[in-house]
Amino acid sequence: MDATPYAKSQWDFSCDLEVNFGSEENASIVYATLMVDKELQPDKVKRLMTVSNGKLLVHFEAIEARFLRASFSAFVDVLTLATKTIEEFGPGMEL
Amino acid sequence: MKKMIAIGFEGSANKIGVGIVTLDGTILSNPRHTYITPPGQGFLPRETAQHHLQHIIPLVKSALETAQVTPQDIDCICYTKGPGMGAPLQVSAIVVRVLSQLWKKPIVGVNHCVAHIEMGRIVTGADDPVVLYVSGGNTQVIAYSEGRYRIFGETIDIAVGNCLDRFARVLTLSNDPSPGYNIEQLAKKGEKFIDLPYVVKGMDVSFSGILSFIEATANEKLKNNECTPADLCYSLQETLFAMLVEITERAMAHCDTKDVLIVGGVGCNERLQEMMRTMCSERGGRLFATDDRYCIDNGAMIAYTGLLEFAHGASTALEDSTFTQRFRTDEVKAIWREANLAKANSLADKSI
Repeated sequence: MDATPYAKSQWDFSCDLEVNFGSEENASIVYATLMVDKELQPDKVKRLMTVSNGKLLVHFEAIEARFLRASFSAFVDVLTLATKTIEEFGPGMEL
Repeated sequence: MKKMIAIGFEGSANKIGVGIVTLDGTILSNPRHTYITPPGQGFLPRETAQHHLQHIIPLVKSALETAQVTPQDIDCICYTKGPGMGAPLQVSAIVVRVLSQLWKKPIVGVNHCVAHIEMGRIVTGADDPVVLYVSGGNTQVIAYSEGRYRIFGETIDIAVGNCLDRFARVLTLSNDPSPGYNIEQLAKKGEKFIDLPYVVKGMDVSFSGILSFIEATANEKLKNNECTPADLCYSLQETLFAMLVEITERAMAHCDTKDVLIVGGVGCNERLQEMMRTMCSERGGRLFATDDRYCIDNGAMIAYTGLLEFAHGASTALEDSTFTQRFRTDEVKAIWREANLAKANSLADKSI
């Protein structure tokens, strides 16, 4: 699977993250949830997200490694939270 | 008819809470968890957000269990949009966005300060009081006028609770259950009043200079046995609270209102309540205050205020469910109070 649909990086530092939710619906929920919050420093870090075949694909680009690291790390925290929330309260939840 | 039910999420500071309420103000559940730092230390955004991340999902489960409601019973999902610390605010926002999509329920973004006011009003029954909102992050004197909660006076630097909390760090008092509570207990043993700067500027107050002053002199005075930590806590409380009573009284005179409602975390300080009650009774008015269950940040106040808005037709689209560190009390249109006004007017028309 080609994880980098983006032809070319504009900035020196970049990385890609691919999370397989195994469900288009869950991937879309996480996508819509995380799309709301924009990157705080768009002149230093860029984040591009797409959903494809039940997978969430995220591409990060930054002008310095430390911005890339901070943005990626913060993103993984909220991604984990969104995923856990689906696991706990999605279809078939038990109270 | 089925009662409307809302679930609310609060996580703007060091407390994370989830509450479930009905439109008449009945609290079905309201669990919360507080991030308590070691003595001498405050809470920082990153660590606080990590605390919230760990506790939010168990809190949602506990809130649903205690309230005995299922997601189908819920009419709307409310969260604190701001003001507060960014990273901790985001935790609630993320969970709310996911739940809204899973459960197919609308979202309502709520102003934290307005939520404190509405919770105070419903719990105490105060109808149209002057509100003193005092907490670790905010200090405002507020009154309702023409569709909004207007700020009549406020701090021009740090919040009163921040001043108390940071002085507790100087004395390395425990942060459990809260630094302010421990200052209050110690202040009861104070005997000697130490003169401190008193900084009221018109309708506004300033606390940072008082903090600098007491931080600079405390250790010296304690070392020379000029006073005890209890004397310092007592003197600091008396000075800060006298300033708050002064600006509240001025707002009352301006609005021609006799009643005062105190909300926010510092609002459960019994000495502050006592001083305010004395002033109110001298003016022939009443003091309304609540205890720590409602004063301190909680999910139910967000749920209740969000539900008021929702019942009057407002909600927040998913793509607009952002959070913001700055969100002033007077930015919110209090549509639920306008509706009451319209109802009152139509009743008045009929009686003519």
